[in-house]
Amino acid sequence: MQHVLEIRDLVKRYRNGTLANAGISLQVAQSEVYGLLGPNGAGKTTLVGQVLGLKKPTSGEIYLEGVDVVADPGFARRTIGFLPQAQTTLDDIHVDEFVFHIALLRGLDRAEARLATGTILAELQLEEFRRTPMRMASGGVRRLAGFAAAVVAPARVLVLDEPTNDIDPIRRQLLWKAIDRRRAQGTTVLLVTHNLAEAERFIDRLAIIDRGRIVREGTPSSLRAGVTDRLRLELTTQNGFKPHPALTPEPDAPGRYLFDQSALATVSDWLAAQRERGNVVDFRIGPPTLEDIYTAAVLDERPRESVA
Amino acid sequence: MKVAREFWYMLRLHLLMHRSFIVIISMVSLGFPLGFVLGMDYLIPDISQQTATYITMGAATQASITLALVGLPQLVAEARHFGRLEYFLSLPISREAYLLAMAAEAMLIATPGIIFAVVLGWWYYDLALHFEPLVIPAILLGMLSMAGVGIGLAILVPHLQAVNAVTQLLIFYFIFFSPVLLPAEQLPEVLQWTAKLLPPGYAADALRATLTDLPNTNLGRSLLAMAIFSVFSLGFSAIAVRRRA
Repeated sequence: MQHVLEIRDLVKRYRNGTLANAGISLQVAQSEVYGLLGPNGAGKTTLVGQVLGLKKPTSGEIYLEGVDVVADPGFARRTIGFLPQAQTTLDDIHVDEFVFHIALLRGLDRAEARLATGTILAELQLEEFRRTPMRMASGGVRRLAGFAAAVVAPARVLVLDEPTNDIDPIRRQLLWKAIDRRRAQGTTVLLVTHNLAEAERFIDRLAIIDRGRIVREGTPSSLRAGVTDRLRLELTTQNGFKPHPALTPEPDAPGRYLFDQSALATVSDWLAAQRERGNVVDFRIGPPTLEDIYTAAVLDERPRESVA
Repeated sequence: MKVAREFWYMLRLHLLMHRSFIVIISMVSLGFPLGFVLGMDYLIPDISQQTATYITMGAATQASITLALVGLPQLVAEARHFGRLEYFLSLPISREAYLLAMAAEAMLIATPGIIFAVVLGWWYYDLALHFEPLVIPAILLGMLSMAGVGIGLAILVPHLQAVNAVTQLLIFYFIFFSPVLLPAEQLPEVLQWTAKLLPPGYAADALRATLTDLPNTNLGRSLLAMAIFSVFSLGFSAIAVRRRA
């Protein structure tokens, strides 16, 4: 099967010498939501810039629907709806005017653009902000307006750079539903995010990127598979609490521990006793989250001293 | 036509983005001619008709310098700094349409100041002006060439603060060291030469040629020079934004 997006051995070295992408290869199938995760400066936004044809790779290939977009960046711009990382200040233009004009610039005629603007603003429950100048809108509304502009004209591929930043939890659900609806209609989504909880629920496959390389790739559950022999425990404690010897504290995460699945009975008995004594206020046991995997992946790849 | 359509929507989008800024800037850009035309009268006692005519044409040119060669590059540099330039470049539109829309916005905002300067000078100094239809292409080409160079400057100079500093300096350069408000003959030879490297000297000359009887004008050469500046600066900018970093 042909992939909607295929990236081969992508290297991007900036003129100042920074190696932002150090040989990235990945494939995204149609209707897939593919996540790019990684710490700040990992090279995610640089990767996205090259897919959009805004930056030129130092070497490597990028194919979008089989078209070489390094040679034909115009094809990428026609195919992709894009939400940039920083929703830029667009000063005094009203939310609806902004979305309407982007629809026109993406090729819709006036009647279509007006209809599509009304529909997407209703879908994202932005109607009450129609006449709000972008400058005055809250970060969340600005972000949603940016998303509305990315999808107002039909786009076969969406590139969303941290779409849920600054958005309140209720609107975030709306946004995910909107993304999901488009995925169901065949849209392919490349999504950069820091929000691991969301990634876990909404992303089909993901790559964890660190220092320009993919350090892990797979579905959230396949990535978890490597560490399923361990469980994680989150604790809220007080008084003279001392952790059980079976618990390994997670680095840089107070109140979080990992333990072997075989110790589950022991740990739960111990927890019950601790609760009775009032040392433990609240606890939660579960499989490792994407965050654990992410932290482990990024820390694994780095030399010890740079983490400490 | 696709490019014309994109230009028009891009221009509208920019005017809507800057709707409150435009009002303020228009007021301010009326202040500049007021300052030049009246202020020079206080500065120079017994001002001659000829000097007053130079000042009036210079003030009109300054109105487009302020918008197209100072304000516009600052706006473009800011758009780049805050990622807006990259966002618009990610849309499936022609680069030329986008650049021309930015130039056209500056030209629209500059026009009232140019007209105001001419009318104010004519009324205040009781100047003997005449109107030649060629004044319209002269003004348009003047603004377009300056806007083109302004955009090119913003794209060439990598930092927002650097663009701001350079354009601030340009204001002083054009007031005192270029043949905009004064005849070229009054400048040292080296400044007469540097004046040829940027459009405002030609724009001022074209205004003098089409509105006044001042001597030593060369309309044909000025129109040609401004046309060349327009084509090359916008062409350069289009190539520069298309060439991906």
